[in-house]
Amino acid sequence: MNIELELNGQSRTFEAKKTDSLLDVLRQNGYTGAKRGCDTGACGFCTVLVDGEARNSCVVPASKASGAEVTTIEGLGTQRDLHPVQRAFVDSTALQCGFCIPGMILRSVALLEENPDPSKAEVRKGLSDNLCRCTGYKKIVEAVLDASDRIDGAGVAADGGTRVENRTTVGEDAGGTTSDCAGGDCR
Amino acid sequence: MSEDEPVSDGGTASEPVPKTETVETEEEHPLEWDEPDNNDLAPEERSSVSKRPEKQDDRKLVTGDATFTADQARRFPQLVHAKVLRSEIPNGRVVDIDTTDAEAMDGVHAVLTPDSPTVPDGKYTSAGQSYPEPSPWDMQVLTDRVRYVGDPIAAVAAEDTETAAAAVEAIDVDYEEYDYVLDPEVAFSEDAPQLFGDDDVENKIVGHDYSRNRMSHIEGRLGDVEEAYDREDVHVHETSWETIRQSHANVEPHTTIAYTDEDDRQVLITSTQVPNHTRRQLAHLFDIPIRDIRVKKPRVGGGFGGKQAMVVEPIPLALTLATDRPVMYEATREEEFYAMRSRHPMQVRARSAVTEDGTIEALELYALSNTGAYGSHGMTVAGNVGAKPLPLYSKVPRIHFEADIVHTNVPQTGAMRGYGAPQGTLALEGHLDEVARDLDLDPIEIRQDHYMEIGDLDEIAGMMGGEGAERRIRSCGLDECVKRGKEAIGWDDIDQPEADHLHRGIGVALSAQGTGVAGDELGAAQIMMNEDGSFHLQVGGVDIGTGADTAFVQIAAEELGCDERAIIPKTSDTDNTPFDYGAYASSTTYISGRAVKKAASDARDRILEWASRMLEEPVDALETESGEVYSTVSGDSVTFEEIGYESVYGDETREHILGKGSFSTEESPPPFAAQFADVTVDERTGEFEVNKLVVAVDCGVAINPGMAEGQIEGANHMGYEMAVTEGITVDEDGHVEVESYDDYGFRTASESPPIESILVETHEPTGPFGAKSVAEVPTNTVPPALSNAIREAVGVRITEMPITAEKIRTKLDDTTT
Repeated sequence: MNIELELNGQSRTFEAKKTDSLLDVLRQNGYTGAKRGCDTGACGFCTVLVDGEARNSCVVPASKASGAEVTTIEGLGTQRDLHPVQRAFVDSTALQCGFCIPGMILRSVALLEENPDPSKAEVRKGLSDNLCRCTGYKKIVEAVLDASDRIDGAGVAADGGTRVENRTTVGEDAGGTTSDCAGGDCR
Repeated sequence: MSEDEPVSDGGTASEPVPKTETVETEEEHPLEWDEPDNNDLAPEERSSVSKRPEKQDDRKLVTGDATFTADQARRFPQLVHAKVLRSEIPNGRVVDIDTTDAEAMDGVHAVLTPDSPTVPDGKYTSAGQSYPEPSPWDMQVLTDRVRYVGDPIAAVAAEDTETAAAAVEAIDVDYEEYDYVLDPEVAFSEDAPQLFGDDDVENKIVGHDYSRNRMSHIEGRLGDVEEAYDREDVHVHETSWETIRQSHANVEPHTTIAYTDEDDRQVLITSTQVPNHTRRQLAHLFDIPIRDIRVKKPRVGGGFGGKQAMVVEPIPLALTLATDRPVMYEATREEEFYAMRSRHPMQVRARSAVTEDGTIEALELYALSNTGAYGSHGMTVAGNVGAKPLPLYSKVPRIHFEADIVHTNVPQTGAMRGYGAPQGTLALEGHLDEVARDLDLDPIEIRQDHYMEIGDLDEIAGMMGGEGAERRIRSCGLDECVKRGKEAIGWDDIDQPEADHLHRGIGVALSAQGTGVAGDELGAAQIMMNEDGSFHLQVGGVDIGTGADTAFVQIAAEELGCDERAIIPKTSDTDNTPFDYGAYASSTTYISGRAVKKAASDARDRILEWASRMLEEPVDALETESGEVYSTVSGDSVTFEEIGYESVYGDETREHILGKGSFSTEESPPPFAAQFADVTVDERTGEFEVNKLVVAVDCGVAINPGMAEGQIEGANHMGYEMAVTEGITVDEDGHVEVESYDDYGFRTASESPPIESILVETHEPTGPFGAKSVAEVPTNTVPPALSNAIREAVGVRITEMPITAEKIRTKLDDTTT
């Protein structure tokens, strides 16, 4: 069957099996920023925005998502032009391994959209569908509070991300630690 | 190698070592360390070290551009997917296996059983350790002799995971079931079901006695503890403690893609902490030359020791050899809990002889460790139960440590952050607290009277097994850690809640770890200069999300005198990066970091030679800073870029500026932690709330303070989990009860206590720019500090983890009736 999505601001049509989740469809088509952590909706690593709401894409049937507006991490900022929430995470040293982070950032974006000036406790509660094993959450919470200052209550614009397959990091040697901005002009 | 001969464990002493003469140790372990001039920089002299540059991989991680192993699947159009058939019984033998239906299914490319040609039949250990591994070779890639629910029996490769899973379902297995044993105390008796015959294990470890399911026994002593117990002026205390089977719960499941490249060599893209060990172990197991295996580590979603092991790699390799297709195996979350690895649950007994005035005359720990069905990391982890906590109290004259490591029919355990130290630290730090209370001593003073200080010769670490060796203490910030931790938690003035049924208490615990396995580490690095004055830095060191790549870059930038942005790290690819033992034992910054420093220093020497020629000034008049070489005499300068072009395209002579560094050491300096836990307990229900955790850590010079704080906070969070959650539980049939994150007590942001981390800077002269390790030591301290805090608040002692309201309530009821 075909799934139609308004994905990161672009109309896209994908082929999908009946049993596919939204996460399956996204990952099969190069949107690998959403991670597979449990397939039961328990970890939040696959969080994306569906019609503006943070959802665990592994438990959203692809068929149900058809017609929806979906934002993945690829639809926020780029390495050279980070979204304020991404920027705040980097500046707060809020991530270590980073596997939970695309989901955590999208959850934070949704949280700040709903509550632009959250308290620390509200941030902790708001992030509680997303697990993190590395950080103990402290710096993540600080990053979200920092982001709320940066965003200044304004809405969040998606800039239409690029698929991973278009990036130069993917190739035979993508296993290294190549940084796209290693030339030094983007930090 | 003779099967019966206990092998050397590669420097991790497993038997008591006789005390060496003091004169020799003065020479072997001098207090004054001959470090390079630039190694000890005052804060204002540092250009990159102890700054907070952005973590190297953060931008690609926050944008989703970074690829973990499974994210690279789309590079392989021919990729097939693996699933594993695992034992449904805890102990027995597969007497018949029928794969006919599975093989006949559309989309199935291979069904492998223990007898299949590409499946190795040799014994090995999954422990990713030095060679020969100090772990027994007791397991097989696929086995018909199953020892836990989850043991791999057969493997399938199919077009997609659904088909592979269906094929696994279609395999028929007949078992002969044996009696099984789940309890380590029962297992350690002569009439318990026996997991291994003597012939079943190669590379046996010291103290094995398989007739009683014991894979190893270790012992170490300093002085005669019995002599102290017999004295009339001492109080002898004995306490017993129990720890949980903690899951690494690494967010990225164990995942490997295996394929054959165009040169007919085997390549594995894999989520590992130990690329070089994995390459060697695969080569041995599959009888493939080491040179024909390439192990590449992409971004890794956490390891915590769970990936200091070759857990899944052999299965996709066997499948790719059988199918001639690239194969990906991605463990399910359920498999992560029942078929990967976990922390060794232990029962630990502590005993001491202490005089009325608080002088500790003897300290003793005994551990009974449940290694589960196989013995990976069994002996070395148990060794650290003694070898990490006991040396902290270097003033104690008599020390004894002993451990038995036994098999049961539960999933096998492995390395996990802290590596035995959390179990020993719970027992020792809880025990000292009880002693202090009983003798009416200050719990901090009794520790301070006996703990390490600069200049101490630590004889204990080397005789307890584990990762230690005799060492001189050259940096120690314990006093400062205690002082600042006390201030931050408010030790001296805590307010009791107004409600009568609520009671607040603060508990303390100290800890020491090591920095690398003493005498059993190697790291290497190469740095290549580009024409534009930038560098490619090749390091074998393994960044599993810790920020190691960033630390390498900062160390190189400091040494070279340039901006971090001019350095591009290329790490952890056995074809293209120098050798490294891998990310474990808190070694990476220290061992691999020193190799990076040496490589950068080597490159800097060549840069200065070129600058000397170009500026026509002697080398000793030249310094580097901000990507330039300048003369301290004339003030003239030349940029790295000018040197880069001249060195490669010069008219008269040309050279590619390369720096090399290889580093190993006998040293393993301890980092220190002082932990404080502030808790409020409801005496009516036993419910408790952790108001705050404070932990002050001496990690030498923090190369990147933000990353170091992150390590400390994450470690404390993991320690908190050890204190308050059940971990992986096993039912009476040997089935793991935790099937998902929902079943596991993984604490969310709103369920986690506030954690304050404090960096106490010292200078460790053996470390790169004064650094020692940071990531393990704060894992050890929360369970004892919390147990001590609850004891302080309501007077009851919880010794068996996890600490629960029910246990507190029951003890409170016991004391009031």
